[in-house]
Amino acid sequence: MIYQKMAIPPRSEHLWRYTPWPRIHPSSTDEVPEVDDVTFSLSTEHELESISHSATTHEDIARAFLQSAGGSNNRLIISEESEPIHIDARASGHVAVGHLHLDVKASCVVLIHLIGEPEWVGIHITGKVHPNVQFSFGFINELDSNTKFLRCEDWIVERDAELEHATLSIGGFRCKSDLRSTLNGTGSTIRQSVTANAVGPRHDDEHVEIHHLHGHTNSDLVMNSACSGSSHFIATGLLTIAEGANKTDASQVFRNLLLSEKARAEAIPELEVLADDVSAAHGAATAPVDKNQMHYLMSRGLSPDESQSLIVSGFLLNAFSNLSNKYLTEEMKTRLTVHLECELKR
Amino acid sequence: MGERMVDEILRVENLHVSVEGTPILNGVNLIINRGEIHAVMGRNGAGKSTLANVVMGHPAYVITEGSIFYKGQPLEELEVFERARAGMFLSFQYPASIPGVQVGTFLKKSVASVRDEPPKGRAFRKELNAAMEQLSMDKSFLSRYVNDGFSGGEKKRLEILQMLLLQPHLALLDETDSGLDIDALRIVAQGINEVAVNSGCLIITHYQRLLDLVKPDFVHAMIDGVIVRTGGPELALRLEDKGYEWLDVAA
Repeated sequence: MIYQKMAIPPRSEHLWRYTPWPRIHPSSTDEVPEVDDVTFSLSTEHELESISHSATTHEDIARAFLQSAGGSNNRLIISEESEPIHIDARASGHVAVGHLHLDVKASCVVLIHLIGEPEWVGIHITGKVHPNVQFSFGFINELDSNTKFLRCEDWIVERDAELEHATLSIGGFRCKSDLRSTLNGTGSTIRQSVTANAVGPRHDDEHVEIHHLHGHTNSDLVMNSACSGSSHFIATGLLTIAEGANKTDASQVFRNLLLSEKARAEAIPELEVLADDVSAAHGAATAPVDKNQMHYLMSRGLSPDESQSLIVSGFLLNAFSNLSNKYLTEEMKTRLTVHLECELKR
Repeated sequence: MGERMVDEILRVENLHVSVEGTPILNGVNLIINRGEIHAVMGRNGAGKSTLANVVMGHPAYVITEGSIFYKGQPLEELEVFERARAGMFLSFQYPASIPGVQVGTFLKKSVASVRDEPPKGRAFRKELNAAMEQLSMDKSFLSRYVNDGFSGGEKKRLEILQMLLLQPHLALLDETDSGLDIDALRIVAQGINEVAVNSGCLIITHYQRLLDLVKPDFVHAMIDGVIVRTGGPELALRLEDKGYEWLDVAA
């Protein structure tokens, strides 16, 4: 369906409860504004292919809007194993939109680093991980603190393929992410982590869907957020296991650390299990900094501020513990550590 | 008199302590001088750990009466981290785990805080390697998260490693021997003996086996939040042999 003909989703819909569509739209919901391109540049010799926008219709309003808005549209085909690929995604202008499709036919690491200062940025990433391929993907949102950000992703993971997916959300004023993955073949695996540092008045809504269509598939999702100031972090998850997808092993863990009285956090994992012989677990916890951890560090000479900052840093870094790709993990940890050190100096 | 004051590390006077309104310590008196090793023994719930924790400044414990002096200065005004920087160290009975924080990072920050300057790269590595070797600790420890998934023995070794690096003037060791096998106990005892030469040392324990390896100058028996008897190493042997009932009668 095209965007202009779609009804605004009601807040009763799980996906739109905490960040309704009008709050994340760049202007008035009946408008599709003129947009600038988000430009993607690569660190390696791989070539980005510019492609025309497809005629695919989307049921989801955010995806339909991004398609109607246009913006840059690129495809990266990875057919041979290579050095890690760094993609700088730069947003400029007033409203910027970019689309990127990754066709992953060989094992590799791709890291996207999004920066820019527009009032509004929209990104739609789609990807297919071909059979037997191990793919590690990192996304770092380091947009300006006044930018509104909408991000949609759709991944298909084929038979015996593995997707490691890491998000570091530290930029933007109001962010809404809707990340969906489909395990589309027996033996496929996704390990996903989302780390968010919500500071000041930041609003960050991270929705992750993982769909197990076949048996013997595995997923592991960890979302950790630290919320300070008057920030609001929302973690919602939807894990579905289709009928007959037996021997599936899936888990979701959401943890939020509240660092101020005004900060808020929601952690809502949801399960829909239609198969009988599966292992599916989910857990959520929201709490202030542990007093025993504080006391332990302070008893070793660290001041209260130093102790809290070390605990927060460890807590956020720990979200990447479920990833196995060392390069991806180290890159994400380094970027997070630099960000936290800069935060401390402010 | 002046020299005695310099040598006095800890003075506890008529200390009464409550936790959530429940009295735990009911008038403890204790003096620890430099170079002395004191052992406190007692049943579970007697108040031994409370004594160590309140000296270190745990916020859950409220001093309702009495005073604590460290090197002649009242401790009440000092925050926990200021006590650590002043040279006090508590080896915890149950050290907190801190997922995501690597042991190496933690040790560097702790040493920097207590010494009031960042540790110098090569010299610190050398010092760290020597201490870890002494405690038979593998270097892989440094990249693990603090106490996260550690066995009981590993936790205790990490506590002693910190003590060796921080070189405290007052070491409070709360059941450091629990969870240690005989070999590990010997190694840990060696670390305690090394630090005890120039420090005051308070060992809380249930068992004689640690005191066979770390010779105490004084042994205190605590019952219901009061030190009811003080003696030499022979008191520990008697407690091990006869239990605490005979002291109940005496008390």
